Amino acid sequence: MSMPNTAVGHDVPRIDGREKATGAAAFIDDMSLPGMLYGAMVFSDYAHARILSYDTSEALKLPGVKAVITGDDFDAVLGGVFLKDEPPIAMGKVRYLGEPVAAVAATDLKTARLAAQLINIEYEALPNVLSVDEALDPKSTLIHEDLSDYFRLKPSSFEGNILWKASISEGDVDQVWSDCDVIVEGEFQTQAQHHLYMEPCGALAKPEQNGGITIWSSCQSVFIVQQKVADYLQMPMAKVRSLVPHVGGGFGGKGGLHIQTLVAKLAMTCSRPVKMTLTRTEDFEIVRSRHPIRIRMKTGAKNDGTLIAREIDMVLDGGAYADESPAVLNWAVFVARGPYNIPNVRSNGQLVYTNKLRAGPYRGFGNPQVTLAGETQIDEIAQKLDMDGFKLRQLNAVKTNDAWIGGQNIDACGFDACMTGMLEATAGAEAEAAAASTSNKRRGIGYSALTHMCGIQSTSAEVHLRADGSVALVTGVVDIGQGSNTILSQIVADSLAIPVERVSFAAPDTDSSPYNWKTAASRTTYMSGRSVLGAAVNVREQLFTHAGEMLECAEHDLELREGGFVGVKGVADAQLSFAQIAGRAMACVGGPIAGTDTLVFDGPTLDPKRAIVDGFAFTNVGIYTFGMQAVEVEVDTDTGEVKVLRVWSAHDVGRAINPAMVDGQVHGGVVQGLGLALTEEMVWGENGNLINPTLMDYKIPGILDVPDFIQSIIIEAAEPTGPYGAKGMAENSLVGIPAAVSNAIANACGVRLRSLPFTSERVLRALDAAGK
Amino acid sequence: MKYFEPTSIDEAVAILAREDDARCVSGGATLVAMMNADLLSPSTLVGLRRVSGIEGITKNQQGLRIGAMTTHATIAKSGLFVAGMNVINRAANQIAHPPIRNMGTIGGSISHADPAADFPTALIAANASIEVSGMDGQRLIPADEFFLGYYETAVAENEFVTAILVPKGPENAVGEHVKVTRVDGDFATVSVSLVLAFNENQCSYARIAVGAVAATPLHLDEADAVLTDSALTDEDIDNAAALLVKASDPIDDVRGSANYRRALIPRLLKRAVSLLKTDA
Repeated sequence: MSMPNTAVGHDVPRIDGREKATGAAAFIDDMSLPGMLYGAMVFSDYAHARILSYDTSEALKLPGVKAVITGDDFDAVLGGVFLKDEPPIAMGKVRYLGEPVAAVAATDLKTARLAAQLINIEYEALPNVLSVDEALDPKSTLIHEDLSDYFRLKPSSFEGNILWKASISEGDVDQVWSDCDVIVEGEFQTQAQHHLYMEPCGALAKPEQNGGITIWSSCQSVFIVQQKVADYLQMPMAKVRSLVPHVGGGFGGKGGLHIQTLVAKLAMTCSRPVKMTLTRTEDFEIVRSRHPIRIRMKTGAKNDGTLIAREIDMVLDGGAYADESPAVLNWAVFVARGPYNIPNVRSNGQLVYTNKLRAGPYRGFGNPQVTLAGETQIDEIAQKLDMDGFKLRQLNAVKTNDAWIGGQNIDACGFDACMTGMLEATAGAEAEAAAASTSNKRRGIGYSALTHMCGIQSTSAEVHLRADGSVALVTGVVDIGQGSNTILSQIVADSLAIPVERVSFAAPDTDSSPYNWKTAASRTTYMSGRSVLGAAVNVREQLFTHAGEMLECAEHDLELREGGFVGVKGVADAQLSFAQIAGRAMACVGGPIAGTDTLVFDGPTLDPKRAIVDGFAFTNVGIYTFGMQAVEVEVDTDTGEVKVLRVWSAHDVGRAINPAMVDGQVHGGVVQGLGLALTEEMVWGENGNLINPTLMDYKIPGILDVPDFIQSIIIEAAEPTGPYGAKGMAENSLVGIPAAVSNAIANACGVRLRSLPFTSERVLRALDAAGK
Repeated sequence: MKYFEPTSIDEAVAILAREDDARCVSGGATLVAMMNADLLSPSTLVGLRRVSGIEGITKNQQGLRIGAMTTHATIAKSGLFVAGMNVINRAANQIAHPPIRNMGTIGGSISHADPAADFPTALIAANASIEVSGMDGQRLIPADEFFLGYYETAVAENEFVTAILVPKGPENAVGEHVKVTRVDGDFATVSVSLVLAFNENQCSYARIAVGAVAATPLHLDEADAVLTDSALTDEDIDNAAALLVKASDPIDDVRGSANYRRALIPRLLKRAVSLLKTDA
């Protein structure tokens, strides 16, 4: 059989690249429907208060206003993934400043916003709980008085404002500290980072004649939107249709709901389509952030560099609602050991409520924070032992067929290859950095290893053969800008040996797409890629069955030929086109050819004989992935400014389906990681007000802050279960960057920073404190 | 909202006098952003783009005349800024990003009077004057007296900035503008504009202005005097900076604490001196 290789492994251009580059691609705010109204919201002026009354009379009198909704208009339904604690709109009390309290629909945006200002809400202020320390204090005011009554998906401990506790331990940490020749300890603090997708959140809802509702929204899953809106509005999912146009980025921020429920409720209240898109400031104030985490970590090793113990205690600031925080806590606790065989580990985490914006999933899912702590300590141990950091990492690295903490077997591990690739790529770089340093411009290189996962949950796909031999790919996968429409089309094209242009990609639609959980957890290529490949292989098998009958030969004598043909091996002119086979199937024998595949990630789970686990929100994790990153910085010791000169990023992707898009993910993750490391931070004032909800005050790296040199190093250690051996890699390139920057600053000028972001002010303060 | 596009200075001034709550808009880089953010909602806008005679850079006996409608990009690229006046195009070259430099104008920028902006300190270091036009004709305001507070200038109601007059400094003078920002294109955490002239290794002329450390750009004749006729040793610079630090009144904000801002004054002054020494 000839090896079809039309697509996989090649830099196939994005199938939606032209429309995006020309501006033709439509996003929520570009959409409009006849008779459409515009929505606006009223936001809480308090971080913590009881709602005493609403007065909407003045707003309703304003000409053009068609509907006003408040908490009184909803059933008392609480939503949430692991803990159901969040109403569709504030009900009874507000828990963060900016929380939506009422919404308006009017004939134009200006009228809607004016009406929102005319709504009068009476509050009774309650004491604010803004910091982790206040939240941990048993005497602090409860943010959720009914915590013990809330539905909890998995059992876990909780008390006061601590909504979830999780821990895992292996070995016996307490017994081995005395055996350690070197111990490092430290406390690390990370910050709230905004997702800052290019497209702020928005939704458009249209009431249907059958009593249902159709919702278009900027989201990471049409199915999550459907399920949650149906739940909040107490409607059957059959009456809630969820669709998505192009999405301008998500990074986790659009993984759950934002304003879909409110827009749907407004539309149903006034029986007209309603659109609402958030301003950038509103998006900052009411959507989600990355978790600030306070991490205390202690790591011990023998003189020969063998790591023997690590203990971690962390507190995650979850903000006002649980959202996906229990899972982020779970993953942070689980991954804090790092990609090393450490026999004695105890990792404890607590998740607290505060009167601030909810924290939620964000590229890395708690991992960049704990990797900062872990990889800092690896460097500190290496320094104490006067040992090369690479050697220390290699000595302790997990390898293929090692067991992960909790017992899961690592089936394919490219970690060592990532380190080797990195050593080759950065050969001579440290000497160059040292040589280029001057008395007040210190250059240094820092490294960070990283591990992450891909997988979880379920997905399904359909591939339909059309009359001319084209195929239609139908999945529920939302491409949020990362390029999965192209990747999945490549997999179909490759497995059927047809050009990508002969594959159509159906937009996700809950009425017609097979189920997919969501675009998250670096899972689309690995999970949906598997089901798409399964569906395409299913079509191939049917093609062969037909061809065998038509050519009167055994199926094992057939081969797939480039361009959409099935032929008899060794007989060049004995072949049938897909169109001929489709014609037979559609008109005469068997019916239209369609392949389907459905799967759930059902890999091994935690082994109770090996680890003591408590409060884990999810235990069926996925496939482990590995990487190694390096950053070169130049620190101005006069001002503390840190300039990033070069970045190297090596990732085991199993198989690069589209190497150019792997590089693109690496570049994007690196830059987002540099923002986390150096400049980005959401800051709340003493009243719980977000101080910097604009792009003027909240700073992501500008184009001139991004180094010209970002080298993506692709390592391919094929994953046996992955499509073509592929694993996920979307989050990975962000995970090690804060740690690598920290290690680079330490390498450059000898100071160690433990609080993100490493602003020039913090660097200068550390230099001054160290007398440097 | 009403919108006018006068074609002459007199016509513009008449509209400003006639209409309540009228604001001039030149490039719109700042004003329109503030309107979009609901920070300003003037009832009348007077677009200046058709007003004749207020755009472009012209050379005269004393130095340069920069029309108020001249964009940052035009100033940044101009070769006319010699004899210390180049502090202005060094500053122009560092304002925000290229698209903003193509939109924004020097008149609009200084009328907005953000103490963290780049032009205010540069104009003071260049000893420039600002020409404003009103019903009674034109008057000149020295840059030192132009900025009165946060977003507040000496431009009276019904007046608007029509030009900036920049005198030539000493023939061998050179200017530099340096700043610390959180990211490229951000407003300065602290900025320093400096014009120096050297006679051998002696400093023969110095004029320093510091931005973002007070409500208005900070300029002290005493600090200039410390550097003038000195050898520009680190001690000289520290002494000049100490005076500036003492006179500064910085705030804590998302760009940095007041302490950090104070700490940056001597360090940025050193950076500017060192860059000019290399140039000279």
